[in-house]
Amino acid sequence: MYEVRFHGRGGQGAVMAAQALASAAFKEGYYAVAFPYFGAERRGAPVLAFTRMDKQKIRRKNQVYNPSFVVILDDRLIDLVNVSEGLNPSGAAVVNTRKSPEEIDLGMEIKVGVVDATSVALEVLGVPITNSAILGAFAKTTGVVSIEAVEEGIRDIFGGRIGKEAGEKNAKAARVAYDRTVVGTSRGEKKMVSKKQWLPTVQELPLGLATRSMETDAGLVGPGSFVENKTGSWRTFKPVFNRDKCVMCLLCWFYCPEGAIKRVDGGKTLEFDFDYCKGCGICAEECPTKAIEMVRD
Amino acid sequence: MSVSKVVTGNYAAAYGALLSRIQFAAAYPITPQTFIVEHLSEFVHDGLLDADYVRVESEHSAMSAVVAAEATGVRSFTATSSQGLALMHEVLFLPSALRLPIVMPVVNRTVAAPIGIWCEYNDTMPQRDSGWIQAYVEDNQEVLDMVIQAYKIAENKDVLLPVMLSMDAFILSHTVEPVEFPDQEAVDAFLPSYKAEHAHLWPEDPMIIGSFTPPEYIQEVRYQTDQAMKAAREVIKRVTKDFASAFGRNYGGLVEEYRTDDAEVVLVTLGTVTSTARDVVDEMRDEGKKVGMVKLRYFRPYPFEEIRKVAEGVSAIGFYDRSISYGSGGPSYIEGRHALYGLEIPVMNFLAGLGGRDVRVPDIKLMFEKLLEAAREGKAKKDIVWIGTRGVEP
Ligand code: SF4
Ligand code: SF4
Repeated sequence: MYEVRFHGRGGQGAVMAAQALASAAFKEGYYAVAFPYFGAERRGAPVLAFTRMDKQKIRRKNQVYNPSFVVILDDRLIDLVNVSEGLNPSGAAVVNTRKSPEEIDLGMEIKVGVVDATSVALEVLGVPITNSAILGAFAKTTGVVSIEAVEEGIRDIFGGRIGKEAGEKNAKAARVAYDRTVVGTSRGEKKMVSKKQWLPTVQELPLGLATRSMETDAGLVGPGSFVENKTGSWRTFKPVFNRDKCVMCLLCWFYCPEGAIKRVDGGKTLEFDFDYCKGCGICAEECPTKAIEMVRD
Repeated sequence: MSVSKVVTGNYAAAYGALLSRIQFAAAYPITPQTFIVEHLSEFVHDGLLDADYVRVESEHSAMSAVVAAEATGVRSFTATSSQGLALMHEVLFLPSALRLPIVMPVVNRTVAAPIGIWCEYNDTMPQRDSGWIQAYVEDNQEVLDMVIQAYKIAENKDVLLPVMLSMDAFILSHTVEPVEFPDQEAVDAFLPSYKAEHAHLWPEDPMIIGSFTPPEYIQEVRYQTDQAMKAAREVIKRVTKDFASAFGRNYGGLVEEYRTDDAEVVLVTLGTVTSTARDVVDEMRDEGKKVGMVKLRYFRPYPFEEIRKVAEGVSAIGFYDRSISYGSGGPSYIEGRHALYGLEIPVMNFLAGLGGRDVRVPDIKLMFEKLLEAAREGKAKKDIVWIGTRGVEP
């Protein structure tokens, strides 16, 4: 049985990629299953999705702990999450990156396929959504499914969800990425650390989980703990502010979901806090005078 | 010709409703159920399904609307989850007493507090006394197949009760798996259109349904409903068989036994844990351990005879639960003990996966090891065992 773990960000479509891979594998005679990590998804936040493929019916319904392959939709996630956790050393990683395989450090030397899926997506789809392109790289790197099956799987899942034409375009993105994928071996120097989680015992758990602000070995929990969650690392696009056009209506300030826009200079102008600005673009969308423009970060 | 596609449990549920040719659907969204009613709206919009599709303002209204629709004699459907089911609570008692064969998938999700969206049975289990037939399923194929079977069971003249189809949040609702879609003609042959006889709202044949009722009548109504629930046992077995001969998939009836033949201990499971437990049973059998499993498919009506028969052949039995009746153990365990009254073997309860925590292979193995230990000792160290709870010895 092959188990695949997708690392993406909310909104990048990791779940659709996992489903399209399952559909592709099914077309090649596998029994295949795909599911999201059962977590709360937010646009930009690191998310997981999984695919399982086997020649016989897959019965286990628990989560994946030792993937044969990992697929990384955004190479900046490598610094944020332990992407190689539990990864089978005889498996492989597939990374969306501008780097070469040898420049990728996964904390283990392992077969790795790289492709600049973001550029492929921008060229073919006109948007930086890499969930289809990366599957082309998966086919090339692992050989577990053919590129033709991947195209079919994308037509099935993407076509069914966002329309036939979009399905075709995304299948093309996979094909282009397939042709551009370079396979090599990763470096294994970095020490990968999994993010610590606060896991109190029954005895330590505050009654009813009514939690005060407290320092734990996994960091701050309770009120104010969000300051440790630097959502700035989620960004693909960043807001560029044109002070001359701004009329200080404060719509952007009001709508920013991260509170990343600050009034400065005695309330006369604005400043963006890039530690927390996740690049969602809501501010640019809301601004009535087009004083904010989103540009690739 | 039937076709196979890789789809989510939510899609399978909606498609089951389509194949059952439902005539009315009430829709109100709630994670993780929303996709069921979304898919239905697409089917109606695309002309694949000829049904009245009504958006309502709450789950309470959704259930009220399907009760009214079903009372006019049309095949009706809705779906919900968690808080939504809780909000429906007071209306749930109507179709069971009025004998309206509604079918409703419930995507099992924890009921707040603490607020979560993951799988737990504390939404459906507290509704077990509302008079609904209650089934639990283990994969997406069973979701689709069970919507069709549910109507067949519900509409049987000896039954005429609503059916609640419990399916695990995310583990089924948002997971894609290969599902075989039967032919429409085959489904039509298996499930003919519904003809309401005892209750309908037709101007040419006026009736009063659900009127104010004094004590002179209600107790008899309760008795009728109880009889219907009991009668459902035989009907379920028959429908399971008929479904198997029509579509080639045999789900066993009220329960399905897995490798119980010469088993020394048996675990009674429900929901998707069943599916993972099959792998565990096979692995442990390979190691020479005589373990077996019983999949509890229906919680209402409860399969007393089947459970007792299995238990009579083993040295220890355990019940898996994904929710708790505080201070008393899990509902499946409570019911199981009732079924096994007077039997002198260890009867254990395993609580795991509450709030949606992953129930892993080692967790299920531990349940079997505990049962084997109890069988050896003739007594369980602890009757009620919490698996994977931090700070609590299992
Ligand atoms: S893009 Fe704008 S709205 Fe979004 S987080 Fe950044 S500053 Fe806030
Ligand atoms: S919405 Fe635009 S105009 Fe209004 S305060 Fe923000 S940047 Fe200035």
